[in-house]
Amino acid sequence: MTLNHFQTLMLFALAVSLAFAFLSKHTMREQLRYAVWSFLGFLVVAIGIGWLMYPFSR
Amino acid sequence: METEPAATTAERLNPLLAVVAAAAAWLVPGLGHLLLRRWIKALVYFLAVASLAVTGLLMRGNIFHSNGADAFEMLGYAADIGSGVFYFLAERIGAAGPDVSHAAGDYGTRLIATAGVLNILCVLEAFEIGLRRRERGGS
Repeated sequence: MTLNHFQTLMLFALAVSLAFAFLSKHTMREQLRYAVWSFLGFLVVAIGIGWLMYPFSR
Repeated sequence: METEPAATTAERLNPLLAVVAAAAAWLVPGLGHLLLRRWIKALVYFLAVASLAVTGLLMRGNIFHSNGADAFEMLGYAADIGSGVFYFLAERIGAAGPDVSHAAGDYGTRLIATAGVLNILCVLEAFEIGLRRRERGGS
């Protein structure tokens, strides 16, 4: 089984966001909101860091 | 939504239940919460830990053992063993064995470690719920 870097990142972000949401929030609404924001945060930060590192890859 | 019955702090503490729930949660992710009747949490934690651990093993990630040569390997062992049953079944799930000569294997190693650390957090929560220290019931 092979996932590329982005697919692995998506899986990591999804699993960790869900677990953190249920660990830290109490109501379903709070958990859902936290999970979505956390997931998007992981993606945005990872893509942002990727872009920042791009000039150094050449 | 599950709610906890009103009781005094002294009546709510249950160390035996906490230890049993924590041990179950470590051995099988989500099982501790299942024993504590936190159905949704049990399902979410199992799916989160299982998806990370199984994917990591199928990507041929490396599993660290207790006889690690350096601090990094010992830290890896401490993280990996957190995933309980997935650590013990690692050789069956990832029958092809570890291969970190490719990027996928390296990603797999990180996913396995993440699964273990995530489950350790779930174990701590199961212990806490078992002690009935939580003021509010969760889902």
